[in-house]
Amino acid sequence: MQLLYAVRGTVWIILYLFFILAPLFALLTAPLPPARDFWTEFSAALGYAGLAMMGLQFGLTARFRYVTEPWGEDVIYHFHRQISLIAVGLVVAHPLILFAVRPELLGLLNSISAPWRARFAALSIYSLIALVAMALRRAKWNIRYETWHVTHIILAVVAVVAGLLHMVGWSFYLAAPGKRALWIGLTIFWIMLLLYVRVVKPLFMLRRPYRVVEVRQERGDTWTLVMQPDGHPGFRFSPGQFGWLTLWGTPFKITGHPFSFSSSAAGADGRVEMTIRNLGDFTSTIRKVSLGQRVHLDGPYGAFTIDRNPADMHVLVAGGVGVTPMISMIRTLADRGDSRPMILLYGSKDWESITFREELEALTARLNLTIVHVLANPPAGWTGERGFITAAVFKRHLPPPYADHEYFICGPDVMMDAIEKALGELNVPLAKYHSERYSFV
Amino acid sequence: MRRLLADNLVFATAAIVIAMAALFAALRLAG
Repeated sequence: MQLLYAVRGTVWIILYLFFILAPLFALLTAPLPPARDFWTEFSAALGYAGLAMMGLQFGLTARFRYVTEPWGEDVIYHFHRQISLIAVGLVVAHPLILFAVRPELLGLLNSISAPWRARFAALSIYSLIALVAMALRRAKWNIRYETWHVTHIILAVVAVVAGLLHMVGWSFYLAAPGKRALWIGLTIFWIMLLLYVRVVKPLFMLRRPYRVVEVRQERGDTWTLVMQPDGHPGFRFSPGQFGWLTLWGTPFKITGHPFSFSSSAAGADGRVEMTIRNLGDFTSTIRKVSLGQRVHLDGPYGAFTIDRNPADMHVLVAGGVGVTPMISMIRTLADRGDSRPMILLYGSKDWESITFREELEALTARLNLTIVHVLANPPAGWTGERGFITAAVFKRHLPPPYADHEYFICGPDVMMDAIEKALGELNVPLAKYHSERYSFV
Repeated sequence: MRRLLADNLVFATAAIVIAMAALFAALRLAG
């Protein structure tokens, strides 16, 4: 199973590089314009490759399950963010190198006197810089997520289309009709990827709606939405996976919200549950959902599942509402009658806010499950673990050798960083721990 | 683990693309 994912992942990496490099090297086919100096040709190649990488960004966020499965959605978004810096760097390097070797081109920076082909280049680069700056500084500049998301998409489309118009307008390599058609076709393909996730997928979701059949309050200002497929069989998921929820309005809304499924994956009626903590943003509206309300779900996604990582002992590490994928795993193993040992290290603010506290306690009777609560603010007389989950907590509760277990971690970023560090101290190899960062959007 | 892999892929992609851009330029000059 793991090998299959590794092979699939490798194939997609090769295809990704192919889609960047093949259109570039296609420019070397006849008919060829006269060659220029090395740095001019190098800078042109960087421009073409950078634009191809920008275009492929639409593919990375198009939620192709088959593509994202080997890594998980959070990692794909991580790659999307990091690689965008490289792509923008390459695109920006293109004019900088040209200006350095051919200073007479600096006149093109004057957008009033510059020809259109240069204006499009400037528009593309300014859009890219704005796009990256907004993505990096969104929180600091206090930009609403929805506003940022719409602006992000518009800037990306403008950057790519303006980049293409610059290349076509310059009419050097793309003077040849075949090469021009190839790059215009590629740009259309990239925009189609965007249309797929923004139009085709929502249309599909519209035809497969869900109804809210229960809104259940849980401990810790947290609510569980129980959703039933309306007129279709729903989908099967693996415990630990998540879906994109559109609660209010149509699935064509730009911003969906990713939440882990908290129900058992062993259920056969397509009913799914999501457990959502009120964090003051969109999540504060969950309690206002009415019974029978129509909602839309896109899923399942994610590589964070025990089904892909069978182990003799599962160690689940949850912080706060990060318990939601864990409860799905635990409920599923209970329904499957799985008797393998499992330990849940569960960090919470205080005793009263421990979501699923009673149910977890009850599940210990049906499973070989040990629960260790770690409380930041323990009540008077508390004899259990206090503070945060550290390497010392692992040592006190896990049987060695620590490297033999599979670790599943979900919680706030700061906690996950600390846990990964703690597991490193215990010499647990990287391949043994699995995490899903729910702050990836 | 997967994030680390993604970080390495980012660096590898950058290195490959820059190397290929240089190869592109070299091939052009080589005729």
